[in-house]
Amino acid sequence: MPGLILIVILLALVLVTIFLGVRIVPQGYKHVVQRLGKYHKTLNPGLNFVIPYLDTIAYKVLTKDISLDIPSQEVITKDNAVITANAIAFINIIDPPKAVFGIDNYLVAIRNLVQTSLRSIIGEMNLDDALTSRELIKTRLKESISDDVAAWGIVVKTVEIQDIKPSATMQMAMEQQAAAERTRRAAITEAEGKKSAAILNAEGAKEAAIREAEGNLEASKRDAEAKKILADATREAISRVTEAIGENQLPATYLLGEQYVEAVKEMSGSSNSKLVLLPADVIGAVRGLLGK
Amino acid sequence: MEFSMQWWHWLALGLLLVGAELIVPSFTIFWFGLGAGFTGLLLLLFPGLSLTAQLALFALFSAGSTIFWFRVLKPRMADRSTAGMAREAIIGELALVIKGSASPRDKGRVRFTVPLLGSEEWPCICSESLQAGDEVRVTGIEGHVLTVEKR
Repeated sequence: MPGLILIVILLALVLVTIFLGVRIVPQGYKHVVQRLGKYHKTLNPGLNFVIPYLDTIAYKVLTKDISLDIPSQEVITKDNAVITANAIAFINIIDPPKAVFGIDNYLVAIRNLVQTSLRSIIGEMNLDDALTSRELIKTRLKESISDDVAAWGIVVKTVEIQDIKPSATMQMAMEQQAAAERTRRAAITEAEGKKSAAILNAEGAKEAAIREAEGNLEASKRDAEAKKILADATREAISRVTEAIGENQLPATYLLGEQYVEAVKEMSGSSNSKLVLLPADVIGAVRGLLGK
Repeated sequence: MEFSMQWWHWLALGLLLVGAELIVPSFTIFWFGLGAGFTGLLLLLFPGLSLTAQLALFALFSAGSTIFWFRVLKPRMADRSTAGMAREAIIGELALVIKGSASPRDKGRVRFTVPLLGSEEWPCICSESLQAGDEVRVTGIEGHVLTVEKR
């Protein structure tokens, strides 16, 4: 009977021991075990066994990448402009015991480290540099934090600057500057346009005048040539007429007289002038025409 | 004791305990199920065992199967994924030395083919001297410095 009681107690003890000793650690976590208050070992994911009387699970550490949101803060640049910057850091706990025993609260510590480092890095930059060189800030931030957190068994995978923007007044001034710059460029462009237009107009006028003068010159040349040709032709005609008339003037006088009479007849037939002066001596008049 | 345990009582208890593992997934009841099953089988072979002996065997088998599991079977269970285990993911990786180190106190630099833990290049320390172009294997990680050994 005492044996049975002892066995039952032993069974209960085995039961409790196994219940408390078997530990399942989920993937993505590691458990830090302390044996009698001292670090003993780190439990990896999966099934683990600890001795319940000696060991306690002191910390359950997340070994996935932890994304740490770094709250936005006001930073003063080298040229005394205020900008607001916030970031996000990705950290990974490589060495759980170092992380839990090396620092009271690694999340808060890293958050503060990132904030102060960000302040000091941006504090060494001018406003324009700070706004444009995020990549540089990122690398320097990572470098400066890495050495500090190394002692805690933590790796900073990356620190990304999320938002970096100047304060409201600064932003207004910058917008004004940008607007003024645009206005300046617009004015310059317009003036350049006008200048170009005026030049082109003047060139056009000049070209037109030159062409016109050239045209006139050409026309005058042609006119003169025409006159020459006409004069030549007239001379030829006159000489031929003269040749034809020769000494005998009578037929010419007759022809001229006939035409003269014809002209007078037409004149009298016209409706507007009814006053026709006829020379009395037609023959004389015609002869006068011939200049004889 | 009016009631005496039959061998099939133990087996039934074992099956029930193994089944209970499905409801309480802590992987602890399972061992008692196995222990009860073993006890049942032994009782089938040696029907003259006293209840004390049966309980003792039950306790022994339960503890024994637990120990067997953790001592023999668990070491053979490889990690299927190193996701969420950065240290295990980087240890054993091969890297190329891009900046040699003359002595163990010097830091060299190594480069991985794919970025590990957020960067391709790492400072490293090695017990031997390293030449640029050597291939090394990662043995550990100390802060932001890898410890490596020559292949």
